[in-house]
Order: sequence, then C-alpha cells, then structure tokens
Amino acid sequence: MASDPQSAANQRIVEDLVSRLRRRQVVGSRATALETLLVLRQVISKARFSNIDQLTDVIRSVGRRLVEAQPKEHSVGNTVRKVLHHIREEYHTASGPPAVESSFSIAKFVLQGQPRRQTVIPKSEARVPLKENDPDDPDSFARVLKPVLMEAIQDVFDELETVYDNIAKNAKDHIHSDEIILTLGMSKTVQSFLKSAAHYRNYTVIVAETAPSFGGREMAKSLSSAGISTFLVPDSSIYALMSRVNKVILGAHAILANGGMFATSGSLLAATAARSYSTPVVVCAGQFKLTPLWNLYHEYGALDFGDPSAVLGFEEGDLVDKVDVVNPYYDYVRPELLDVFITNYGDHPPSSIYRLLKETYDDEDNEL
Amino acid sequence: MAPKSNAGKEIGDEAEVLQAVILADSFNKRFRPLTTRKPRCLLPICNAPLLDWTFESLALAGVQEIFVVCRSHPEQIKAKIAESRWSKPGSGIKIVPILTAKETFSPGDAMRDIYTRGLVTGDFVLVMGDLVSNIRIDEVVKVHKERRKTNKDAIMTMVVKESGATHRTRSKADAAVFVLDSESSECLHYQPVMGYPPTKVASVPREILVAHPDVEIRNDFIDCSIDICSVEVPSLFQDNFDYLDIRRDFVHGVLTSDLLMKNIYCYVAKDGYAARVQDTKSYESISKDILSRWAFPLVPDNNHPAGHLYEHRRGNKYIDKDGTVVLARTSTVGNKCLIGSSTEVSDNAQIISSVIGQHCFIGEGAIIDNSYVFSGTTIGPGCVIERSIIGSDVNIKENTHVDKGSLVGDGVVIGPNAHLEAFSRLSKRRERGNTNQEEEEDEYADSEEEEVESAQDSTTINLGDDSNAIVWPPNTSDEDEDEDEDVENNKNQRFMRLGDSASDLAFSDPGSESSDEDSDSSDEDSEFETRLGILPTSSATSLSLDAPDGSSQDAIAEFQNEVRLSLERAFAEGHSVDNASVELKTLRMASNVPLSRVRESVVAAIVDRIQIIEGSGVPQRQEIANVISRWGPLIDKIGGVDAVETISALQAHCASSDRLLLFGQILAALYQDDIVEENDIREWHESPTSQGLGLLPGTRTDNIKKCWEVGSRMIQQFDEQDDDEESGEDEDSDEDSGEDGEEDGEEDDDSEGSEEESD
Repeated sequence: MASDPQSAANQRIVEDLVSRLRRRQVVGSRATALETLLVLRQVISKARFSNIDQLTDVIRSVGRRLVEAQPKEHSVGNTVRKVLHHIREEYHTASGPPAVESSFSIAKFVLQGQPRRQTVIPKSEARVPLKENDPDDPDSFARVLKPVLMEAIQDVFDELETVYDNIAKNAKDHIHSDEIILTLGMSKTVQSFLKSAAHYRNYTVIVAETAPSFGGREMAKSLSSAGISTFLVPDSSIYALMSRVNKVILGAHAILANGGMFATSGSLLAATAARSYSTPVVVCAGQFKLTPLWNLYHEYGALDFGDPSAVLGFEEGDLVDKVDVVNPYYDYVRPELLDVFITNYGDHPPSSIYRLLKETYDDEDNEL
Repeated sequence: MAPKSNAGKEIGDEAEVLQAVILADSFNKRFRPLTTRKPRCLLPICNAPLLDWTFESLALAGVQEIFVVCRSHPEQIKAKIAESRWSKPGSGIKIVPILTAKETFSPGDAMRDIYTRGLVTGDFVLVMGDLVSNIRIDEVVKVHKERRKTNKDAIMTMVVKESGATHRTRSKADAAVFVLDSESSECLHYQPVMGYPPTKVASVPREILVAHPDVEIRNDFIDCSIDICSVEVPSLFQDNFDYLDIRRDFVHGVLTSDLLMKNIYCYVAKDGYAARVQDTKSYESISKDILSRWAFPLVPDNNHPAGHLYEHRRGNKYIDKDGTVVLARTSTVGNKCLIGSSTEVSDNAQIISSVIGQHCFIGEGAIIDNSYVFSGTTIGPGCVIERSIIGSDVNIKENTHVDKGSLVGDGVVIGPNAHLEAFSRLSKRRERGNTNQEEEEDEYADSEEEEVESAQDSTTINLGDDSNAIVWPPNTSDEDEDEDEDVENNKNQRFMRLGDSASDLAFSDPGSESSDEDSDSSDEDSEFETRLGILPTSSATSLSLDAPDGSSQDAIAEFQNEVRLSLERAFAEGHSVDNASVELKTLRMASNVPLSRVRESVVAAIVDRIQIIEGSGVPQRQEIANVISRWGPLIDKIGGVDAVETISALQAHCASSDRLLLFGQILAALYQDDIVEENDIREWHESPTSQGLGLLPGTRTDNIKKCWEVGSRMIQQFDEQDDDEESGEDEDSDEDSGEDGEEDGEEDDDSEGSEEESD
C-alpha cells in the first residue's frame, strides 16, 4: 500500500491538510469543510478499492487522521460523515433495489436505525452491473462507481457553496419590519441572512463588539454598508439593551446532537439575557455544522482556548507572570436557551436536531 | 560553489525555496550537566525536544529546506531527525544535518562553515536550535525581500518581540538596547546589556542622531534570534574572521563600520510569540509561556511538536490523552502542569506548576513544585523537589529534598534521605572500563567530567547511600574577575540561572558600580549616553565632554602609537597612499576608535614627519610642500572627509609640539593641495574650540591662541584677496555664503596670497 505511488500522493495531500489544521492555518468551519472535501475528492479519485468496505475504510482512515489533527473543527468530521453517507446511498442505488422497504414509524424509530429516503429515482442511463470483488478485474468496481462518487461529492460541494443563500432565502419570514435584532460576532451566515432580509424589511440591528476578537466591529461595518441601520455596542450592554430587542440571531460553530451548540464566546451571555426577557433566540447555521456528538460540554478543552495575548498584552511583563488568562473561543449554549435553528435544510427546534442528524449521517460513522 | 553569483538571479524569483539554517549548538555551557551526554537542542521542553519546537516554528513559516548545523553529539541529532515526523514523506520539508568541525566554537565559526560549504543560495532564515516561536516568519521574509529590491545593502532583518523590560522571558543577562529609525525600523545601533557587571549606560553615537531625526531607543525587546539573512551574510563572516557572536560582533561590527556600508533592519513583531531557551531561567519561563498558551497554536493540546496528544483541563492542566496516566485519587495536580503518558502519581503527591515527562513515577506524598522532570524518572515517596530540572531516568529515593535551582543530570541516583543544596548540579559518575563506544560518546564531556570527578574527594555533601552521583562545584568567583567583560562571566550567569533572583547582584552593587561605570563610558565625546532603566526613553541623555581617562585613555594612546609606527613604516618604505590608508582602516577596526582619533593621529604623524629646518624660510617651505603633497591626501582617505576637523587636529597637535611655528605654513600647504578649502578655514576659525575657549590657561592654550591668530591673518588675506578680485562682494555676505560661496576661479589667486602670508 505504501509503495503505491498513488497512495503516497494521497498521503501527502492528507498530511498537508493535517499540518495546516494543526497549525491553524485553515480556520472557520466552512473553510475547513471545503478543504476536507477537496482532500476527500483527491483521495477517492486516486484510491484503489474493489468493494464498498475498502472504500469506506480508506475514507474513514483519512477522516480519522484529519479529525485527530484538529478535533475542535467539527465540520471536518461532519464532512467526512456526510461524504460517507452519500457514498453509501449511491452504492445502494447502484447495486439494485433497497433490501428493506421503509415503513416508517416513530415507535420503531430507534430499532429501525437509518430512515433511508430511498424512493429509488430510476436513473435514465443504462446501468453497468456492479460487481464487487471481481477476481478477474479488481478495478472494475472502482471504475464503475467512481464517476457516481465524484458526482456525490460534487453534490456536497455544491451544497457548501450555496449554503449561505439557502439559509438566507427564508430570512424575510423570520424578520419583520421595525424589529430590533441583536447579534454578535462575525458570522458569514448571519451576515448574509440579515442582508437578505434587508431587501424586504426595514429593521434595526444591534451588534455587540464581541471582545476579544472584536468580530462584531467587522460585522457592524459590513451590515451598515449594506444599508441596514446598525448600532455597535459594547458587550457589557447586552443585558441592558435586551428589553428592547425583539430577536437575537446568533451564528454557531457546531450544533450538537442534544440541540445545544458551540458558538463564539459571548453567545451564552446573549442567550441567557434573552431568556430572562423571553426574547426568542434564532441560530443560523449550515447543515455541515451538525455534529453527532452530544456530550462535548463535559470536556473543558472543547471550548478551544486561544492565545491570552488578545486579552493581556505580552508586553505587560509584570502581569504575565502573575495572571492566568483564559481566552476561550467558544461558549457552550444549552438547548433550553435556544428557540430555533435555521439551516439550509429548513427550520428546526433544538429538540429535533437528533432527527436531522439521523437523516444526514449514518449511525456507524458517528465514531470515525 | 559561488553563492554570490546565484543571488542576482534568484532575488526576484518568487517561487524560490525558502531555506533555513539552524545552529543547533549553544556554544556555551549554561545547561551543564544536563548537556554532557546530550546536545542542548534535544533537551525536552514540555515533553518535546527543543529541536522539534524549532522545526515546527519554521514549518509554520513555510520553510522548505532546513540545514541543521550540529557540533556536539551530531550522531544523536542525526538519529533524532531521521526518526522524527519531519523526515516522513508528506512533511514537505527537507532537513539536512550538517556536521561541523569540533573546532567550531562560536556561531561565527558556524557561519564561516556555511559559507565554505556554499549551502545557501538565496535569502535564508537563520535561527538557533532552541527557538520556540509562532511568528509568521514568511511575512518577515516578504518584507525583507521587498526591501532588498530597493536597497541592496539591507543584508539582514532581525526579528524582535516587544515585551516589558522586566518580562520573565526577557533575559536580564543577555539582552540588548536597540536604536531604531522610527520610520524605516532600520537598526542604527546595537548595544548588548548584561546583568553583571550591570550595564547602566548605553552610548549612542551622535552621528546617528544627526542623520536620523526620529529614533527609538528600545530596551524592551526580546531578541528572538530569528534573522532573515541575505547570501552576503556568511561571506561577511568569512571576511571578518574575528566575528564570533552574531549579535555582539557581527551586528555591532556591521553597524559601526564605515567600510561595509551595509544596513541591518529590525522587524518588531507585534503578534505572535518567539523566545529562545538560552539558559535555565528562560527554560522555566518558556515552559510557563507554553503552558499558559502564549505560543498558541503551539500548545500541548493542539499542535504538540512531538505529536503527543494532551487533554486540556481547567487551569491549563494538560494530561496525556491516551489514558495511561494514573493519578491517585488523593493526589493533587495544580494549575499549569503537564503530565506525559504512562506516568503514575501516587497518593497524596502534589504537583504544582511542573512538567512531568513520560513513564515517570511520583511516590506517595512527594511534592514537585515548579520543576521539570524529564521522562523515565522515579521520584520516591516523601521527596520534595523545588524549582529544579531533573534529567531523564533519574532515581530520587525517598525523603530526598532537592532545593531550588538544582540540575540533576541523566541517570543519576540519589537518596535516600539526601538533601541537595540550592543550585547544586549533579551528574552520573562514569563507569570505569566501559566499552569503547561509550568512551567515544563521552568524549565531549570527558575533560570536564574528569575535572569534576577529581574534585570529588573534597566534597562532603550527603547524597545518600546508593548514590552514583558526582557533584559539580558551584561556580566560584576565583576566575570571574578577568572575564567580567564576557557574557559568560559567573555573576552574569546567575541571572540566567533557574530560580536565582540574583537580587544581591542587582541591588547591592549599583552604588559602587555606577560611579566607575560612569567614568568608564564617558570617554567618547561624540556620543550620547542613555541611562538604562525600566523606562529608558524617559531618562536623561547626557553629553559628556570630559577628556578621556582610565583604560580607554590607554587604548587610545596605544592606538596612536600604532598609527605612528605604521605611518613611520609607510614613510620609510614609501608605500602608496592607498596602501597606507587600508592599513589605517584595519588598525581602526581592530582597536575600535572613532574616526576623529584616527584623523588626529594621522595629522600628528604627518606633522612630525616634517623636519624642522632652522633659519631660512624657503627650504622649510619646500620641505613642507613635499611632505604635504606626498602624504596629505592620506588625511582624506581614512574613511571620511572633514577638513574642519583636520585643521582642528593640526592646531591641537602644533600647539602641543615644537612645530608650533610651522602651523601657518602647513595650513597653507594643505590649502594649496586642496585638502582644506577657504570655507573650512573660516568655519574652523569661527568655532569656539579653535580660539581656545573653555580650556584651562597654560602654554598649550596660549599656543592654540597663537595658531588661531595665524588663522586670523590668513583669513584677513583671503578677505583682501576677495576685495581685490570681486569688489562687489563684501565681507559679511562672504562669511554667510558658506559652502556655495566658493568659486573655482579664485582659488589659485588665493593660494598665492596665503603663501605670502605664511612667510
């Protein structure tokens, strides 16, 4: 395997992404998802396999390597799971009619496992019979399946490309005229959501600065340049302003299976303040942020602690020795504090995120 | 190999491979005895060898080719590189270990080795093998290359990191004052700062203040020793065989040289972290910086250079993730701790702000406080370890107390019930009759260890019954007197020592030290001095005009003597002016004196060359004209033209020698040979020093005044000449006209006039 030049090339691509992930040269969930997808496409196009298990093993091992490199960028693992899911689906359609007919019932939901929506769209092109483990021609399986797989990956790719538009298209149903919206941090998803709503509605946005990254400043600039009436406020005034706010719109870093989420630090503050005023909290997030994990909040390190220099300058020589600075990137926001997730797969309450997860990923991939 | 010829082609080439050179040897012994059997760059910090941190720092910057220059224990370094993840395919980095001769004793020697091997082909990154950094060096390289496009003389960019003057990671013993141009961040002056003898005064040459209206004098930089060098840098080391240290010799040499005309720039890193593990003290502070995540993303739970996976727990605790760490229920692990895999911590043991390696065992009730324990070490029950570094595979038996600042070498066994004094250093006794191969490995340490072993009989420290350790003698003060100037002097080393606050040195000495420091450094009348305090910019700058005294007086006298001898030889052997000037420049470089001194000496030597001919004026004048026309041009060839200073020097020399009467004639001869011009004479004439103002009355002052009067007569004649020639121009406007009032046409006539005068 290692002597194979193609797998050596694969290894190089994977290692390259691994080191970039480790060094945080690729950050942000969408960017990492895109990079992961590119690597997977390369790996699959060069990989040699003669049955579906070999293929999934190759992908899983690459996925495991990438996830280990940066366990805090959950979209890496999510993308791998998504690709695996698509591959299995394509394989099942290609290898004939589904074995189990889906008579779906909530009562048997857990037992039934994966609710496959295999309405079997008969493909127009004449299908070459799939032969696994063909001793005469071990590559035939790969040859037949590869174009289909490439197509499947392209689908995931397109989905990532259009994720912002798909989330934003329903914006006008969520934001009404003359509302006051509070948001924080710099989230591309929220930004495009608000901008798209601005085409139909006239409303006001209050942006919290979101120290220490101050992503809120960037956000406020971009929103006001789009013609939205925008206020930039310090984080400390979030609670004071909450009584006037009609809706809190947040971005997410990862959505967990229990309906909670990891989001820019400060989100917990905003969500808690919103709860005390019963202000609805809306989360905008792409589907690739759905993470089939639920217990991450037990883990202290999951919040991803950054560099203290954003909080305390390194040049404060006397303080550096005496002060421990904690600078988490993310807050864990409990599902009780959230009202709705707006994804490119529609709107979901936190309590039904598990369903969405079941539909998106295969159970066997939850642990890569 | 001709690196220079390649340089021209490759500078513009964007796709050029970024090369880095790591000097993987420390060239000092600050970590002894930990480094007797292991090179310093393989000492672990936060459980990964220093070299791995350096590689990671460079990889972060997109370096593609790394040369590792190793001197001591090269085979270990080579093996380490071969087994590390960097040599696997897909790492994207090519690492080439370079073995340098054992005679390489300084970074300068290593640079010369790099030159002779012709390793580098373009701009390269030069770092030490003990760097921990997350600075985007590629950005710096970009800035450097951009600068090179407009200024070919910008040969080097030094990366410095802002910190407070009293930052824990900033070495007190081996820091520096940087004088930067605020606009271009060109480094104008570099002065090393030591802890002992305390550097209290930084001298900034006045020319810098004249040439650069806006300068920053910074005493708050951490020098990261990351240099972006052009290909010329190794060749400069080759040309100047006496450069040893990159900072103290090379940077200082380049900046003070009028011959090289090269520029060095600084890059002040605002973001990011960079520091060097240059001594045990910085070892501690960098460990703490890493654990407090300053070096993020280079932190144990994210991008550990050795590839370990750690779980980050509340309070910046890092416990290995693979689940092999055993922490007893009643043990306590405090904040800022790192515990490697397969380590066992027993009941009631306490670990406070410490790093524990892999496969260690911490016995019941042991206390490990602010210490660094390498892998494989066993610490027995009831032991107390304070602020020390314990090597690998050490066995510390029960109830042993290791006091602060101790270094325990690999494989040592101590205890039970031993007590190590503060700052003691232990290493393992070498076994007699070991195999040849081991002998070979030991050869670096041999002489020193033997010395230490031979001294063992006198030591009476209780190391416990089972101990195999030898105690290294503490650094005594017997030898430090003669080495005080060196950074490695013993008292200065105390500032680098783990756990040593050196408060006695820092606070007891100033009273006595400052007075002689003051007189010592006030010898240059052309320099500004800045007191070094916590806020150097706010402190007073003082200009001292005192005559030179003390040791520097001797140095200058010696220099003047050298110049005299060298010129005598030149006169006697009839050298050409060019050859003589080269010789003078070399002399000047060697003794590091300001240009004005050279000028004085040359003028003095030339004047002394003129023989006094009694009686008649004409032969005397002929003699003067001969000497001046032959040797006069030398005055302008010593490295700068300053005719006013020449006249002053001439005046000063004539005033204090028996050639007083020749002053006028010599001046006239100089004028005739265009070495001085009318304006220069006028300018000199107006300056207060030429009139002998401010000097104590005495024969010398009288003589100076006499000379000035001669000058006055000469100027009178110039004026008369001017009136004759150009009746329209009156005296006032002529004086004001300064530099541009000179016209070529009148020179000849003027010189005739002056000749008349001198008769």
